[in-house]
Amino acid sequence: MMRPVEHLHLEHVLQTVGALEAVVLRSFGPHGGQVLFTRDTGQAMLSRSGTRILTALRLEHPLARMVVECVWRHNAKTGDGSKTFILLLASLLRMIHTAASKDPHVSLTHNSKEAAKAATARLLADKLLAFALDELDDLISVGVVPYGCVLSWKDFTAKTQSPVQKLLSSFFYTRLGQSNCDFISNLLCEMLTHWKFQHDPPSGSLQFINDNFPALHTPVLGFPISCSRLIEGQVIHRDFATPLTEPDGGSVKVVVFTGHLQPKLLNAGEVLELGCEALGEQENRGNGTSILHYSTFAEISLEYVFSNLQSLGVSVLLSAVKQSAAVLSLATQAEICVVECVSEDELSLFTHVMVKPCSLVICGSGEGQTEQYAAAFQEAIRMVLTTWEPLNTRPTTASKMVIHSHKSTSLHTGDTKPTYGFPCQNSVLEPGCVVPAGGTFEFLLNHALLQHISVCDNHESFPAASQLLANALLSVPRQIYSHSPRYFLQAQAMVLGSVQNHVHPFVMLDSGLESVSCKYHLVLAVLQCVTRLFQIDTMLHTHTRLNTQSRRLANISWEDTEDEAEN
Amino acid sequence: MSVKLDDEDFEWEPPTEAEMKVIQARRERQDKISKLMGDYLLKGYKMLGDCCDTCGTILLQDRQQKNYCVSCQELDSDVDKDNPALNAQAALSQVRERQLASQSPASSQSAELNGGPSSSHIGVSVPQPRPEHCEGAAAGGRAPLPPPAVPSTSAPPPPTVLAPTRPPVCPQTTVLQPVLQEAEDAVLTKLRWATNQLQSSASLEASIQLCSLISSCANSLRSLKELSQ
Repeated sequence: MMRPVEHLHLEHVLQTVGALEAVVLRSFGPHGGQVLFTRDTGQAMLSRSGTRILTALRLEHPLARMVVECVWRHNAKTGDGSKTFILLLASLLRMIHTAASKDPHVSLTHNSKEAAKAATARLLADKLLAFALDELDDLISVGVVPYGCVLSWKDFTAKTQSPVQKLLSSFFYTRLGQSNCDFISNLLCEMLTHWKFQHDPPSGSLQFINDNFPALHTPVLGFPISCSRLIEGQVIHRDFATPLTEPDGGSVKVVVFTGHLQPKLLNAGEVLELGCEALGEQENRGNGTSILHYSTFAEISLEYVFSNLQSLGVSVLLSAVKQSAAVLSLATQAEICVVECVSEDELSLFTHVMVKPCSLVICGSGEGQTEQYAAAFQEAIRMVLTTWEPLNTRPTTASKMVIHSHKSTSLHTGDTKPTYGFPCQNSVLEPGCVVPAGGTFEFLLNHALLQHISVCDNHESFPAASQLLANALLSVPRQIYSHSPRYFLQAQAMVLGSVQNHVHPFVMLDSGLESVSCKYHLVLAVLQCVTRLFQIDTMLHTHTRLNTQSRRLANISWEDTEDEAEN
Repeated sequence: MSVKLDDEDFEWEPPTEAEMKVIQARRERQDKISKLMGDYLLKGYKMLGDCCDTCGTILLQDRQQKNYCVSCQELDSDVDKDNPALNAQAALSQVRERQLASQSPASSQSAELNGGPSSSHIGVSVPQPRPEHCEGAAAGGRAPLPPPAVPSTSAPPPPTVLAPTRPPVCPQTTVLQPVLQEAEDAVLTKLRWATNQLQSSASLEASIQLCSLISSCANSLRSLKELSQ
């Protein structure tokens, strides 16, 4: 009997994402709990990071794996928001499911109600994504950015209570808990200040730190986190291969080698041809043609190299590869210290950095914990980089938005329809814009979307899409205030009140700060994930593994081996 | 390309209120399933790519390679068999009841009918998955249940007898008693079996499930005793 091909039902998608949501929900929010991971080896680790929790789950279901991969990619870009991703995703899926169930367009091309529902859902998801790609950034510039605060790059000092410090502090609060977040954010601020390139835009130096972070930090086990500090200079994470000789004083000269000083004589598969053609018949000549002569020649040239280095006053040799024993003994004789197997990025940082470097020493009590702290630092840097990355919108759509709002004020003078208030002069999503944490972004965007629906009346499909998105966004603050629904209403009222009165909400709320740019990327990433989920028609089961390391999930079509056996 | 269409595809209407309740109950059940699955995933269970054959829920697999269906093995053991979210028959019967009740003149009686069925259902629920047992037992206890497609063993009087439900309680106790007695015996047997299993059980999961079975047997016995009074 032929096993039927499994069509993807909306319920499967919902159930998968619902399970992931249940996993992540308990750690969500500032009061979320931590997950304790234990290995069979006895290693234990506590974590609150959404990406870490999700990637640690044992998932064989292809949809679940796809969702976790989307989360991972989003985290690799922005460093934040994995749990919010899943929450928003689940909420959107449920709303799309409800909308599709209420009104499936049954037509002759679908042979069941399920297929009709799936097709409607796919359509809705596509419309949502199209809407977001088209108009979301303008909505945010007009509806969210004016109520936030734009942090300038010059605010980047390590003073406590500077806005940047507050931004980092609230990030670390959700990641690592309350006890050390101020100290850690201070440390990171110092580091970022040090690496500020004076004449470059902020994203340049932030990108530099992000790319070179593995070389710019050193994990140290066995100390509490409060022992972490910034040190001058760059730490090369290798030990000396030869005895250390103290420098005499003054500057230390270093030579970097990327290859072998003494080439290996014979590797497997190679042929060494000795001698030259002119001496073809005279093989019994004393010099040049035997392997012993060749190796002697090599040693002599090596001694020559080292005497040269000594005369130049070189005292340290950094090598990217492992050098031979002859090199090491010659170096010891010449009182030159050798460090072998230095990693490429450390070497490139060493050779290319123009300013005096400083690096971070991160202390932690155990290996897992230190690794977590280091990961939190890196994610914070990514978050700051995303915040200051300039995003440009097309000027046409922004001006269209302005025209609409002006039109509404001129045509409906008698109406109480509130306008956007601020004429948006710059159509660029302002880099460095932050809003108070705790759901403010979601409340503001929800309000802006609802306003947008009431103002624009000739987009036939977008109102449905923007209504869906507006409702789904509220699930995030609802979950933040899940312990007390009254706070949810209070927070919403406060934010909307400040919108009505054109006041900044952030002077009133005493919570942390979060980056508008990261949230924008989050919403886009979630919508893209939704579209991808609904693009899957069928799941065919195979009994053999096809892709163990899938970073690109382009084709999830597998063969049904049972069918092949039957046929 | 030939496409087969059912008649019901062309007759789609928005769901009625009764069906909305069914949908609501189903949604709550789905939420419970998701929460349970999330808990198990955090405990180290693996989420498989297969679905359960009976209920369509995604299967989980524990460290001992044993497959586990959250809804079949956990939710259904302590949820009412006549919960409309689970049992399509029960849902249909509830909807038809209401339809008939709205057509019949004795609409006040139907309100009692709605109150009545749930308590007597609880009274005779036994942890067995076959719906006709419950239908049959419940039908024995309450005459005017219009029989759905499931044939019930103790067939009630013809479905025209809908209106008077509460008044003829006394003549029905004679029908009620042996049924209740049977149900009590069955529950006690199961209770004894569960107790024996619990004494010899070594696995944590099995013990938890047996304890929940014992508590639901105790609840059933209590309700049966209430009914017989």
